[in-house]
Amino acid sequence: MEAVDLGQLLSSKQDRRIRVIENLLRGKKTVSTLYWGQRYHLLPLLNLSKHLARGGLDTAIQDLQQRDWVTVDAEQKTLRLTAKGEVGLAQHAYYRPVTVDQWVNWDLNAARQRLLLAVQVTSQFAHSTARYYPLATDQETRRAVRQWFHGAKGPALASDLATALTASLRQLPNETASIMTDQFTGFDQPGLTLEQLALATDQAIWQIRLREFDGVAQIARDAWQTTHPLHNLLAPLWRLPVSTSSQATLAAVTAGGDLQRVADRRKIKLSTVREHLLEAAIMLPVTDFPYELVLPPAMREAFRTAVHGDLDSWQYVALPQAMQAEYDFFYFRLYAIWRMKQEVPA
Amino acid sequence: MESLTASLQRVFGFSQFRSGQEAALTSLEAGKDTLAILPTGAGKTLIYQLYGYRHPGCVLIVSPLLSLMNDQVDRLRMNGFKRAAAINSLTPFGERLSILNHLDQLQFLFLSPEMLSQPQMLNQLQRINLSLLVIDEAHCIVQWGPDFRPEYLLLGAIRDKLQRPLTLMLTATAGKQTRHEIAKQLRSTPAVVTESVNRPNIFLDVENVADEATKQSRLQDLVKRLPRPGVVYFSSKQQASDTALWLQQTAGVTAAAYHAGLDAEDRFKIQQQFMTDKLDIICATSAFGMGIDKDNVRFVIHYHLPADLESYAQEIGRAGRDGAPSVAILLYAPGDEQLPLALGQSNRPEAETIQRYYAHPQSFAADEPQIHLLAFYRDHGISQAAVERLFAGRERERNHALSQMVDYVQSPTCLREKWLQAFDEAAPAHDEACCAPSNQPLDLAAIHLLQQAVTPAPIQKVPWQERLARLF
Repeated sequence: MEAVDLGQLLSSKQDRRIRVIENLLRGKKTVSTLYWGQRYHLLPLLNLSKHLARGGLDTAIQDLQQRDWVTVDAEQKTLRLTAKGEVGLAQHAYYRPVTVDQWVNWDLNAARQRLLLAVQVTSQFAHSTARYYPLATDQETRRAVRQWFHGAKGPALASDLATALTASLRQLPNETASIMTDQFTGFDQPGLTLEQLALATDQAIWQIRLREFDGVAQIARDAWQTTHPLHNLLAPLWRLPVSTSSQATLAAVTAGGDLQRVADRRKIKLSTVREHLLEAAIMLPVTDFPYELVLPPAMREAFRTAVHGDLDSWQYVALPQAMQAEYDFFYFRLYAIWRMKQEVPA
Repeated sequence: MESLTASLQRVFGFSQFRSGQEAALTSLEAGKDTLAILPTGAGKTLIYQLYGYRHPGCVLIVSPLLSLMNDQVDRLRMNGFKRAAAINSLTPFGERLSILNHLDQLQFLFLSPEMLSQPQMLNQLQRINLSLLVIDEAHCIVQWGPDFRPEYLLLGAIRDKLQRPLTLMLTATAGKQTRHEIAKQLRSTPAVVTESVNRPNIFLDVENVADEATKQSRLQDLVKRLPRPGVVYFSSKQQASDTALWLQQTAGVTAAAYHAGLDAEDRFKIQQQFMTDKLDIICATSAFGMGIDKDNVRFVIHYHLPADLESYAQEIGRAGRDGAPSVAILLYAPGDEQLPLALGQSNRPEAETIQRYYAHPQSFAADEPQIHLLAFYRDHGISQAAVERLFAGRERERNHALSQMVDYVQSPTCLREKWLQAFDEAAPAHDEACCAPSNQPLDLAAIHLLQQAVTPAPIQKVPWQERLARLF
């Protein structure tokens, strides 16, 4: 990720923690990372750069500092855009993905692998090529595509797929559609690498990746239709953005369980139950979480009178002692999430 | 049993073997361990594929290059052998497990030496019927063993544990010393099947340049003038990437880098672009080459000095497989031998480190490559004195190999003679189509290797809808 790419993830109104952005990209899902990811409206970045090394944003940060585009706090933990940075960034036409609200619901990297191999296999099939090198992918992708192809192959597959992909890509900016098709491998087309696409279009690699994610998410979303030729291949990759064990905890609590009882029954610690609930509250729409049960109106009212001002400035330790004694940090954090969901309807 | 030629026809559709293949197969069919030294492009893999086809059981192939293993599995599948798999350190756990559970059904299994040396793996392998053990790129026993892959040194003991299955050792280049070492390490006295390493259609050239800047501009000049496609070899991944970009921007060619730092998808795409003539130039490290079948490569340029003539022979062997005139050019600037020297040393622990490690092994971090190496030796009961001797001996060998390489570069007389000498071969009489040692200029026109004037086709941007239509 280069300076301009990182700059897009920053704000002149809010200090943003470097480690949160890094952890989001690397897919390290701690409650704190998710909470602040939500505060920064950056949750769609989750898992998008699993191979990013710890400290992998340092070069971009240094570059931003040298340009005077950001200020860094004394502890070197947070970044804030300067006025110069805002002006500088505004001069770069930057890609705004259109499917971004879908991203947390898909394993986009897995979907991309499947899509690329399915396109290759179908293209070679359409040209009756029996012998060719398949794209190098992991075994799970190969297995899924083999199974899909076994059920899908037939005289109409290639034209159906072409029609479906055309319909999806038409909904995206023209250049995004081009980048998607240029990277496809198939008959008489080896496909271009990320780096080659970046060079050919004079864009940074991260922007090319954003376009790729956009293309893959659009195609995956359209494949949700049962008549879509890729439905059986891509639909299984849709997922709730909450881990299965958090889902189980949430279901138990929603069914009316007291948190301690749920912990006992599930043989996990109370603190784990609370982490599961916070994860679910952050990642799910407000209507999918039992706020009435876990954060009843009286408790909300107590917090409403105790905390004021910008959500980012709230501090648990600043609450009156009596409130701290009555309510754990968990409820304070849950209240903040609930308030956030009121501001930005999910 | 049907004849070898009938099997060849049935499986591959060919009516004739390439030279060396039949001799190796005949030797194996007679139950003899076989060391096959066949030049790059001779079709070495066909030997074990056909043997595997003709005999029940599993062919176990030990292969040093992780990236290559999956290519080889794909290639087998393309040839109709579906029961093939590979396990190496990059294989995800689930995949590894599923392969191990179906081990007895496999016809071909590729393993890295590290995987093979794991006791659990050996246990599993002892239970299945191995029809043939193949040591691919067997020269790595000598070239890589002590520096990079100590596991190669265990192959002899492993072979014993597997009840000494019939063994095929494959390599493109091996002088007498290397042959001897391979046989010794594997505890075998193989029949040797060999073809000359000489490639008469490759013109050999060494060019002295004053410094790095001159070298770069000479490279650019050559790339513009030589017929394409071609490969430029580097010792550094970064320099391969940077030069590919630079050539693309300044020399009017399409170029891409290929090295072990790329992910599998990029490697696949670059390789396929090159195979289908969509790339003029590959800027590569030694990771590129093994397993690449492209017969119209017109030139191989070495930007950095290889560490020994065997690597050099392997790499220039990518040129001219179609038999048409081709050229291998080595660019040499004073002091270039420092790089392979330094690379060699960086892999080797100092005597002091060895002493300190043996005194206090627990106070070292095992993820450091040198320490990993020492830990390996220590865990296998090799004494400090023996390890010191091993590294000292190895250093002498490497220095000797490098000095042979430098001799080649500085030779005022026939390069081919120098080159073949290292493989104990006599060179044919020198003529004008043979070579240009460092003191003689390279005349590309005289050897019919001047790029014909071509007007570059204007690059047409294909609309995405049309690109999709072409795919399907």
